[in-house]
Amino acid sequence: MAEERRGSWFGFGFCGFGQALGSGRGRQVHSPEPLETPGPGADVCRVSASWSYTAIVTRGGQVQLSGAAGGAAGGCRDAWASEALLVVLRAGPAVGSRPELQAWAPGSALRGEPLWTHTLVSEAEREDAAGGEPQARALPLLPGARAYVSPRPPFYRPLAPELRARRLELGGEHALLLDEAGQVFSWGQGRHGQLGHGTLEAAPEPRLLEALQGLPMAEVAAGGWHSVCVSETGDIYVWGWNESGQLALPTRSLAEDGKTISREAGWPSEGDSDVRTVGSEDGAPAPFIAIQPFPALLDLPWGAEAAQASCGSRHTAVVTKTCT
Amino acid sequence: MAEDNREPLAGAGALREALWALLPPTKEELVPELGEKVELGMARLLQEATELFCGGRRSECLQASEAILDYSWEKLNTGPWRDVHKDWRRVYAFGCLLKAVCLCDEPGNAPAVAEALKVCDMGLLMGAAIHGDILIKVAAILQAHLPSGKRPGPARQQPGTKKARNDGVPVPDVASERPVPRLRCPSLQHFRKQFLAPGRPVILEGVVDQWPCMTKWSLEYIQEVAGCRTVPVEVGSRYTDEEWSQTLMTVNEFISKYIRDESRDVGYLAQHQLFDQIPELKRDISIPDYCCLGDGEEDEITINAWFGPRGTVSPLHQDPQQNFLVQVIGRKYIRLYSPQESEALYPHETHLLHNTSQVRRWQQPRSSCALCAGLQGHQQPRRARGLASARRSVDLSPLGKRVISGHSPSQGGVSTGPPSPTRPSCRGLPGAQSDAGTCGLQPDAALPWHPERRDIAVRCCQGVLGKFTLRSTQGDGDAGRPVSPGAEC
Repeated sequence: MAEERRGSWFGFGFCGFGQALGSGRGRQVHSPEPLETPGPGADVCRVSASWSYTAIVTRGGQVQLSGAAGGAAGGCRDAWASEALLVVLRAGPAVGSRPELQAWAPGSALRGEPLWTHTLVSEAEREDAAGGEPQARALPLLPGARAYVSPRPPFYRPLAPELRARRLELGGEHALLLDEAGQVFSWGQGRHGQLGHGTLEAAPEPRLLEALQGLPMAEVAAGGWHSVCVSETGDIYVWGWNESGQLALPTRSLAEDGKTISREAGWPSEGDSDVRTVGSEDGAPAPFIAIQPFPALLDLPWGAEAAQASCGSRHTAVVTKTCT
Repeated sequence: MAEDNREPLAGAGALREALWALLPPTKEELVPELGEKVELGMARLLQEATELFCGGRRSECLQASEAILDYSWEKLNTGPWRDVHKDWRRVYAFGCLLKAVCLCDEPGNAPAVAEALKVCDMGLLMGAAIHGDILIKVAAILQAHLPSGKRPGPARQQPGTKKARNDGVPVPDVASERPVPRLRCPSLQHFRKQFLAPGRPVILEGVVDQWPCMTKWSLEYIQEVAGCRTVPVEVGSRYTDEEWSQTLMTVNEFISKYIRDESRDVGYLAQHQLFDQIPELKRDISIPDYCCLGDGEEDEITINAWFGPRGTVSPLHQDPQQNFLVQVIGRKYIRLYSPQESEALYPHETHLLHNTSQVRRWQQPRSSCALCAGLQGHQQPRRARGLASARRSVDLSPLGKRVISGHSPSQGGVSTGPPSPTRPSCRGLPGAQSDAGTCGLQPDAALPWHPERRDIAVRCCQGVLGKFTLRSTQGDGDAGRPVSPGAEC
């Protein structure tokens, strides 16, 4: 998105760690509640949620952690939180010095030494990091789109420049890439159909999703074992594991439970639009689908159009455009 | 126990006491000791859950243990099973322990005790041993506090009076095929020299005559000893079929639905390490002396149980380990092909089913036998005709093991196996062990609870893939296969 909307941040889901979601009342927050921000007037521009902690980045360059991991630091443009690793993109120490990517153990509270650093050296990287919106190239995609960062070693992973990555999302065992033309690529493990190529085979290198070829996508999101993308026209495509109903397709486990299960979330959403949690359909006579190995078009209720989608490990949330 | 379920369970307080007596006395000892693999967030949650537990805050502890189970279950489903770190399995088992004991905290709640036993079983199936295999002990106590394992309802039927199911599976004529040789209690040296080393199949008679299971086991006995225990069951005739799936149910439910009754579906308790889960049954069997001839350590021997009705069919496949199959109740037809004929058997090309043949109907079997419980038999030898040459060449793991095919017209096999140098819980897939590293593929050593097997069947229902040969191929055989997850506990 070209312009950052100055909205408010809300959160909901599992906050057994006191991840500063909403009021933090109790262990689960069932409806979106305002996020506690680091200080009065602090303008939150990026939130990255892991299972047990959340990283919040403000326009002033402050990154703050809340939950099982704590701590704060300045000079940060972007942050990406995972259980194993916290990655931050920091401006260089002196004016004009090179920005640096740092990987920290979440328990370190950003004190001491990072586990690993990488200085952005290439022109493309520095331009991207220096100019404009922090959302332009969000972690785990690195500025310059020549590489991305992974929570498992090797931390720094190059990308072929011809991919022209706009956005990159990491799932539990796979990765999704959205390029400048709106094409989607995937790679990694395919055991649960999360790559979308129609098989259960792994793909070691980025591979184009042929099923979506020619349909320009605006957003991609990766969950634990599933994938979602949103087209420029507001359609949602889902694929991967549906064991918990994360693809909104009929699933045996939910049919037996007879209710929609809300899983750990922690994904904050912007306040203006509508948020729906996609869990399961009820009473469908269709056969249960445990794995959807290539993209399926999802119909939203009331013909709504999607603006953005995000995935937890076993659930999906979609933000729709407000109806006009 | 002849207790009336409408009244609070007598001795409910005794249950709680018995469970707490098993636990380590202090909070510090209760928290499992784990390495670095378990991340900060989970480490904190484990501490917190233990504190809640010791502080008597039952419902909060239940919530925390659910979170422990949710997250660790995801770890158990990430990557191949052999790569799942044992610490995560310990975490899962710990979550099961807390949850099970918390569930039993409420006096007189019989369904909660049954659920707690299910939870224990999940911890045993997917977790790793903690606190000296405490889940086994907890399960034993819970079982003792549940109503009797005997199936309520209509009078028990004798196996012989059960309605014969006509499922169109003909009983093969063994006489027309080349028989597997039978020997009575050969010496270890003779067995090794004539059969193990050259890789030739043989039926050994007289070896298991003294095993208690030969006289003790019956449906009633198994229900009494293990009726309330939760086990994985495969539903569907062949694991290459579209409708094939895996699910969890108690032994009582399995026997009632798939063994006693005329069920439309075939249910098979297959390749499950039942004897690790239920030690009482393990006391009824032994390990054949011949197993010591294997390469690995004795504690690496895996023992699987196979328990099914008539009509279970396993596609032709190759086991990754040398093994013995012991038929305790009923009979099983087994057809074998030499590993040299692997190419002619059209293995599936996907790594998932790479040990499985695509062929359904066989013209020229190499060897076959009907393995009956305690029976002797002699087949007329017949020369096998040549097999058609392969139309495609496929890489196969050069394990040099017998290709096994089997078909189970009836019930109750127990198989044990010689040790192998590698992790014994690998299932049915070549290349799953380090000794088959020459196989260029890296198939999963499957999770006992692996999502793919079930998902393949369901995926085919969606009319998916021409490339997958599952829809057009089936086979006959006895298979080793993983089990896929139902809902986690």
